[in-house]
Amino acid sequence: MSKKIISILLAVMLIGSIILAGCSKTDKVDTGEDESSATNSTTESKDEEKADATASDSDTKEKVKITYSMWGSAEEGANVQTVADKFNASQDKIQVEVVAIPWENYMTKLNTMATANQLPDTGMMQEQGVIQYSSEGMLSDVSTMFSEGEAKPLDSLAYTYQGKVVSYASANEVIILYYNKDMFDAAGVAYPPSSLEGAWTWEEFVAAAKKLTVDSNGKHPDEDGFNSQNITQYGCMIENLTWQLEIWALSNGGGFYNSDGTELIIDKPESIEAIQKVADLYLVDHVAPLSTGLTDDGIPRSIITGTVAMSSNGTWNVGTCLNVAKEEGLNYGVAVLPYMKEKVTINTSGANVVFSQTKHLEEAMEWIKWYGQEENNWDSLIATGIWMPRLDKYYKEEALTHKWVDNPNFPPYEEYKSAVVDYAMSDAARPTSWFYTAHTAEFNTLLQSILGDVWTGAKTAQDVIAENIDALKAIHAGE
Amino acid sequence: MSTSTRKSRTRHSRSYASEERTAYLCLIPAIIGLTFITYLPLLAVFVLSLFSWSGLGSMKFTGMSNYIKLFTTDPYMLDSIRATIYFAVIAVIGSMIYSLCIALLLNRKIPARTFWRAVYYVPYVLPATAIYVGWSWLYESNFGLFNYLLTKVGLSRVMFIADSRYVVPSLALIAVWLSGNLIVIFLAGLQNVPRVYHEAAEIDGANGWQRFRNVTLPCMTPIIFYNLLMSLITNMQIVTPALALTNGGPGNSSRFISYLMYDQAFINNKLGYASAVSFVFFILIAVFTGILFATSKGWIFYEGGDER
Amino acid sequence: MSITKQGAMKSRKRKERVSNIISVIIIALVAAAVLFPIWWIVRTSLMSNAEIYKYPPAFFPSRWLLSNYRETLVIFKFWKYFFNTMMIIAPAVIGGTLTATICGYAFARLRFRGKKFLFTLCVGSMLLPTMVTLIPLYIMWTRIMGFQDSYLPLILPYLTGGGAFNIFLIRQFIMTVPRELDEAATIDGAGRLRILTQIIVPAIKPAMIVVGLFIFITLWNDLLQQMIYINSAEKFTIALGLTNFRGQLKQDWALTMCATCLSFAPGVIFYLIGQKYFVEGIVMTGLKN
Repeated sequence: MSKKIISILLAVMLIGSIILAGCSKTDKVDTGEDESSATNSTTESKDEEKADATASDSDTKEKVKITYSMWGSAEEGANVQTVADKFNASQDKIQVEVVAIPWENYMTKLNTMATANQLPDTGMMQEQGVIQYSSEGMLSDVSTMFSEGEAKPLDSLAYTYQGKVVSYASANEVIILYYNKDMFDAAGVAYPPSSLEGAWTWEEFVAAAKKLTVDSNGKHPDEDGFNSQNITQYGCMIENLTWQLEIWALSNGGGFYNSDGTELIIDKPESIEAIQKVADLYLVDHVAPLSTGLTDDGIPRSIITGTVAMSSNGTWNVGTCLNVAKEEGLNYGVAVLPYMKEKVTINTSGANVVFSQTKHLEEAMEWIKWYGQEENNWDSLIATGIWMPRLDKYYKEEALTHKWVDNPNFPPYEEYKSAVVDYAMSDAARPTSWFYTAHTAEFNTLLQSILGDVWTGAKTAQDVIAENIDALKAIHAGE
Repeated sequence: MSTSTRKSRTRHSRSYASEERTAYLCLIPAIIGLTFITYLPLLAVFVLSLFSWSGLGSMKFTGMSNYIKLFTTDPYMLDSIRATIYFAVIAVIGSMIYSLCIALLLNRKIPARTFWRAVYYVPYVLPATAIYVGWSWLYESNFGLFNYLLTKVGLSRVMFIADSRYVVPSLALIAVWLSGNLIVIFLAGLQNVPRVYHEAAEIDGANGWQRFRNVTLPCMTPIIFYNLLMSLITNMQIVTPALALTNGGPGNSSRFISYLMYDQAFINNKLGYASAVSFVFFILIAVFTGILFATSKGWIFYEGGDER
Repeated sequence: MSITKQGAMKSRKRKERVSNIISVIIIALVAAAVLFPIWWIVRTSLMSNAEIYKYPPAFFPSRWLLSNYRETLVIFKFWKYFFNTMMIIAPAVIGGTLTATICGYAFARLRFRGKKFLFTLCVGSMLLPTMVTLIPLYIMWTRIMGFQDSYLPLILPYLTGGGAFNIFLIRQFIMTVPRELDEAATIDGAGRLRILTQIIVPAIKPAMIVVGLFIFITLWNDLLQQMIYINSAEKFTIALGLTNFRGQLKQDWALTMCATCLSFAPGVIFYLIGQKYFVEGIVMTGLKN
């Protein structure tokens, strides 16, 4: 009897595993047919969606289909698809399909798709993952995208791995100082300088911030009886998203990495001191709100609501939130960043890459090259102030600069020209380290984590960096 | 009952065989589930944890080195275990006390009981991610409502989720708020407490507290145990607040172990290493539930003593 | 003597009434606190983005911007996401409840070798959190079985008895159904299938609804697994749709909160349908062993 039971049990298990194995086998065959099943299913849904948009279904069949992934909301995805449709209509070789993935899980998705050998042909890549992906062989060399003598994007916008260009940034962005003019006027404080020559020192910056910080009794931080627990208006907010802190480390004569990204110098006293100075804006000087470096809605939270008078952030804010606020009556200005020892800002922008799993390298490059050209994104991204151009003629030829900046989305022309356009071209602007350094994602995660206690004053920058330098080095070495 | 079944077993052994066949047939789904969804994967976690594997290239056998690394040089692991236990303990205790109290109040003869019950249950059925984002607005350090109220009454600000000292209690408060299902289960348990016991105690002149202490509580111990267990397992697995709100910070103060595992597996693509984290997590949960079970014999009261 | 007794009764009654009033007050106050965060989300959803960041924060929107919802529905394809979510939840709830019933029935009513062993395994798996086996399951579903961008990895686990907890719950419930009913039916010549469908199932309906609700909520609240297994925006669920408000460079909080409020509805409705059975179900299972 018991034998029978065991045999039944075994049979059940066997059947179960055969069913499972069977499924897996057939599915493997499917995926074995070089992702055809996967691409088919996506093209099916694609076709459904497009049926109303493009009637020329037979045309698209002969074209090479490539997918382009980007992070952003569904709305942004639809906007990029509109641009891509222009590209699709402009030639008869390539058909681009845009896939929008939410920002939060973009890298997760890319990783899972990479594991399954189902990466899109090309896509946007979060800055901090580019070199890492290159080092794993996931990205194609795109050095051949621009032929000899063709106008190339600025050198500072090339992501390089082992001397090869693996990506050009989709645009240019630098970090600048925004300020609320009405708040300055009310406090009778002079505006921060928009020219690099006149840039404030850190001390001048803090002094101005003190005049702009007010508690509920109208007192300033350097006055007797100032209540730091009940501040109603803050003087400044230095964005402390980890990657932006590199500015201050560099400015103080230190940095995160040495110049070619091979060694860590974040434990240099200069780097540590710089980070501590940023933390002290809240802890000691009482001129800044506590900011934890988690969200990137710094400008809406500060300048636009009028709770903070000066705030450092990226130039994209001009187009993502400030243009609307300006229309609604916000009176804001742009200035160059203050400096500690050297005048520094960093430039960056999301990378457009071609994944090495693609079979259509040429077509993919052609698309991202086209997509990166200013005129193809003019109305939606350049003229709104979200993207700055990649070609240096826009910075150097006054007529083109006018064409780009002279519109109501931007702050006054002279101010923006000096504090952004010229600033971005000056010696002060340096590429963020993720253009040439691997493992910056994990590095920034750990750094963000350990600095959490520095912002609240529970520990000093010196302590946490000394405690964790070995772990940081291990991450940088890719262990 | 047991004698009758034994009798029937000897009498109809053929029908027993058919009964047995039916049983196995019925249990096929469960057997497949236990094998392929539960126990084999558990084994696989351990096996994977002995390898270094990015999910892309080939797997490299590294023995115990993942574990050694976890407990020596890993900057997160120990903090992560600490955060998980800390959170689980206060969230479990908090939600047990809260839900028992609310259940006791709801068990009284009060008007619109169904309505109140629904109100307390509602947070539990809302999509979790959304909830945490909503709370983050209340907790915001500089301009959030809670700090506004604190300064209004002249207290100093609390940085809540921005401060490593407060982040875990702050998140635990949300967990307590979410424990509507515990209330409903407690409520069900309370309605199961035999009225006779209460009446008997009342006749003996026991006051409210004594009745609670000597009648309600003992009768409720099995339910308390059940809720304790479920709440412990749920709260030890906590991941959404770290995912949606804190990214594990400040410091590592909310880097819960599930989040650490997710981060290593799906962000950093270290599947072998993340499996080691998973296995440590499994051991941790096993230890805690083990403790709970070991102590349960001492304080669970089974009605009539003939549980089975 | 009888008078004093009556007096004591009266005073006790009065005392009870007073304590009941106090209970109601406490219940109402705590309920207000419980609902407050929800109100905060609702009021945020009706504000302009500028007002959201205002300090001090306002308890009520200065203008009730119902238009936010119209804008939200353009981006947040509620019905599509809802339909997608149901594509996961419906088969999981139905399949999970049915298989849990069958398995629970076997454990409660049938005699077979290895019952104790299997049951122990089953209860044991209740203590094994899903997070622990996430990685191997992920590898199994996506690499071995090839389920890419599919709902199957989310549904299939529920077709195996809906999880040990649910099997356990059903078993407990069936144990409370008097065996005599089965036996009487057997004498009438009913087979096991008929006993199950005509006697057991009607008797344990509340428990089945509880199981369904539990499965619903687990899937409803799950973000992580949906995030891992679902790729394309076509297949997004409500939970994933909510994460889609974080734009490239900005986050529109007002619209995010609108979408959040919209996503409240299905969960609440499902609870309201199930709640009558819900408490009953748990009461009757006793959950004692």
